[in-house]
Amino acid sequence: MEYFKSSLKSVLGSASVENEPSGADTVERLVDRLQSSTLLNDRRDACRALKALSRTYRVEVGAQGMDALRQILEMDRTDCEIIGLALDTLCNITSPKTFDEEVDKHGPNNKVGEQFTEIFIKNADSVGLVLALLEEFEFKVRWPAIKLLMHLSTNRLKDIQEIILVSPMGVSKLMDLLGDSREVIRNDVLLLLIQLTKGNANIQKIVAFENAFDRIFDVIAQEGNVEGGIVVEDCLLLMLNLLRGNISNQNFFKEGSYIQKLTPMFQISSEHDDNPLSTWSPQKVSNVHCMVQVIRALVAPSGPAQAVSNCQRIMRACGLLQALCNILMASGVPADVLTETINTVAEVIRGNSSNQEFLAGVMAPSNPPRPAIVVLLMSMVNEKQSFALRCSVLYCFQCFLYKNEMGQSQLIQTLLPQGNEVPSLTTGQLLCGGLFSSDSLSNWFSAVALSYALIEDNTQKEQLLRVLLATNIGKPPVTLMQQCVMLLQQGTLLSSQENNDDLQETLLQSMCAMLIGLCVHFNDNSISNYTKEKLCNLIENRIGLERFQDAIGGLARHEVYSRTLKHPQPSAKNPSELLLDHEFCRLSKTLEGVITKSVLDGSSLHQKNEITTPILPDSVLITQYKEVIREQSSQIQRLNQLTESLVKEKNELEVQVHDLRSSISHLKDQNLVLRAAQTNLMPEENESINVTTNEGCTKEAEKYKTVITELEIRLVEYASMVKKYETDFERKLKEKSEELEKLKKDQEDLLELLAEDESKIMRYEEKLAALGEKIETDESSIELDTDDQAECNNSVERIDRLISP
Amino acid sequence: MSYAYLFKYIIIGDTGVGKSCLLLQFTDKRFQPVHDLTIGVEFGARMITIDGKPIKLQIWDTAGQEAFRSITRSYYRGAAGALLVYDITRRETFNHLTTWLEDARQHSNSNMVIMLIGNKSDLDNRREVRREEGEAFAREHGLVFMETSAKTAINVEDAFINTAKVIYEKIQEGVFDINNEANGIKIGPQHSPTSPSGLTGTGGQGNTQGGGCC
Repeated sequence: MEYFKSSLKSVLGSASVENEPSGADTVERLVDRLQSSTLLNDRRDACRALKALSRTYRVEVGAQGMDALRQILEMDRTDCEIIGLALDTLCNITSPKTFDEEVDKHGPNNKVGEQFTEIFIKNADSVGLVLALLEEFEFKVRWPAIKLLMHLSTNRLKDIQEIILVSPMGVSKLMDLLGDSREVIRNDVLLLLIQLTKGNANIQKIVAFENAFDRIFDVIAQEGNVEGGIVVEDCLLLMLNLLRGNISNQNFFKEGSYIQKLTPMFQISSEHDDNPLSTWSPQKVSNVHCMVQVIRALVAPSGPAQAVSNCQRIMRACGLLQALCNILMASGVPADVLTETINTVAEVIRGNSSNQEFLAGVMAPSNPPRPAIVVLLMSMVNEKQSFALRCSVLYCFQCFLYKNEMGQSQLIQTLLPQGNEVPSLTTGQLLCGGLFSSDSLSNWFSAVALSYALIEDNTQKEQLLRVLLATNIGKPPVTLMQQCVMLLQQGTLLSSQENNDDLQETLLQSMCAMLIGLCVHFNDNSISNYTKEKLCNLIENRIGLERFQDAIGGLARHEVYSRTLKHPQPSAKNPSELLLDHEFCRLSKTLEGVITKSVLDGSSLHQKNEITTPILPDSVLITQYKEVIREQSSQIQRLNQLTESLVKEKNELEVQVHDLRSSISHLKDQNLVLRAAQTNLMPEENESINVTTNEGCTKEAEKYKTVITELEIRLVEYASMVKKYETDFERKLKEKSEELEKLKKDQEDLLELLAEDESKIMRYEEKLAALGEKIETDESSIELDTDDQAECNNSVERIDRLISP
Repeated sequence: MSYAYLFKYIIIGDTGVGKSCLLLQFTDKRFQPVHDLTIGVEFGARMITIDGKPIKLQIWDTAGQEAFRSITRSYYRGAAGALLVYDITRRETFNHLTTWLEDARQHSNSNMVIMLIGNKSDLDNRREVRREEGEAFAREHGLVFMETSAKTAINVEDAFINTAKVIYEKIQEGVFDINNEANGIKIGPQHSPTSPSGLTGTGGQGNTQGGGCC
């Protein structure tokens, strides 16, 4: 307190000792000074004092000073000193933790920081101001700006994420700081980015786009890879945030060849073999945990199959799978690291035949050398191993057999009698050993493991039925089926004896109901005592159909069931939770419907009386619903289109109606005029005209109108006809006149010829006369000629007459 | 798979113009007639060869909807190339090009190569924007132009590769600062610019580095 007092004195001058101002008063005066002082130095001092008070008098400073501080960020941007102080003050005000100084006043768990965060970000520009300040290189500004953002996002993550996402280059500005040479800044930005990428795919993608993976790998390398400190872990956590559930980023990670960069990190040196504990510091354990989580994020069974299998292929090719297997087989690896590594190997090989084959080929450095899978199974059926480790081995083995026909048949093969002498130790032997173990967990693990050899493989089922197991010496061998039924009976017996666990009881009932149902459904009636019909009668009479159905359905209603169905990895945290297996749940899901149907069909009563609705498996139902939805959506579309066209039509019709209305009113006017005219013309008929309705007039007018238009049309026709005739005539006239012209010319030619001939005759006559011949004898011929001429003249006349009528 | 260069692209343009389909056609060589609306941004990648050099294209396909505009703006800065896409059967998508271009120019680095793409060229009977208009717009704003069809794959390959060629030329001319990753270009791990590229000369085009035979 003394410190504050003295600092206050220095700021405010010596206040009178007798009425010492209260905290609130002081804050008020400081805020006032911060807001109104024109001198930068004064404002700085006020800000410095506020900062000093902002822990003890957090509420006062926040409540009164928020706006002033915000204003400083905006107005005094150029002065690093005051900006730094303002940011520090805001950091204190919004801090998510409670300061020791204020515990007395507001209790240890007050939400003061959260409330002030809310107030601060209510003005959306505030965060933008802080983001802009990140660009200032000055440490005094940049660092508190990062811290303030950290506080804000701790208190109000969702809001801050949204604000940063829409601030221009918000995420990019943060990413730039990862390259800051000052480690404090880089590390704090790392923490801020971890925070901001939580559950926000959009930010995750932008961060990845801004070369986050390159930067992260750089920092990891600088910090000493897997042996590095907490910064390495932070880097890995950020990487994990970017990848988990974000398919786009996973794809980017794969395409950017970053998987390959993981391999060297897993090449964990084993130079300290003499002192294995020294190589695994708690930090290293944490780092490896994060590293394997990164791998699992890429090959999670829930991911898209194509992408997962691509990643798996790359992981084998780049030696990552090898490195993981090396960890499995190394000595001195802590149990929890080993467990997680086994789970990771499981998912790296799941459903990928090459990777499965790879694991099958891995040999443990034991004496004698054994396959790694055998060594793993040995741990699974070993009571002394931790439960988590045993579960992880089961998961790994399940993933090894998943879609692995060869692996499945090889496992069954080890159980069938072989010609050669018995080899050392086989997977099948270990599992059968587990089935006969007195440890019920070993029974469970072995049975489930064995069941994975049968998935979608009928040959293996038949083979396994042939398997005989030698029990103790002297006792006859039993079949595997017998042993399983025996275990089931034991379980039932145990359950009915203890009867303390409703959960297990109902599960067991469901299981038995399902078994009986299977016997009905797949019954070929080859054994007369247990035909379909007889079993159905048994169910009906001894259990009751309703109860049977209830028992079968009981499985799916179970919380364990839905939890198990979600993920292939066993989800049990302790042995008592280990009840159902993933594949078993999937199987029962598909079988539940058909079994119920078979039993109901088989029961005589229901066959006669009721038509049972078939209970369809979910997938069928879903497709049906999808179909319905599809139909409905297409219907909606059709209806939308229909509406659209109807609206269009309606608009058109409205326009028409409007036109018609206006023409009607027009006609009414006309009608009025006409009536007036009529009254003028025929006053005597006044009354009769008044009687005729408007409508009649309109109609009449309309009629006349149409008549007029008809007539007009006809007139136009006639006019065009006339025009046509005219042109016709003109053309003909022209032709004829041309003809006439030609004929006239012909006539002229002929007349000329005639004149010539006549002159010739005259000459001949003269010659003859000169020769002394008589001419009279030729008279007739000349007459004939003149006749011709006359005829010719006549014809010309005729033509003339023709042409000009 | 090593590469000489890595280029970052973004695909932008109105919603429904076929951005995701262009990417799918380019990366997977298939067409999906019904595509989900892109939420935010999706990633795709492919290797191409230019001038005999392997070049990796990392492509961010953005959401065209207005609601995502502020998110997609974050991707301009780090991109070396952008495909600005419109739909030739929808005039309004062409009309919005100016807005897109302004946005891109404002937020990207000035050297970003922008390729204008008129998509859905297979639907010529429903065309609303003439090819010449696209060409004119591209000329006016200094863009490279192409009409493509993500459905028939026509020009899709070329659109992406030609953009890469322009970027590549700019690198050769020294326009791009290849050491600044914010430009959307990365040099391949084994391809530092100083080391000569060994015995890659495979006839074809004469290697620029004079492989003098003795």
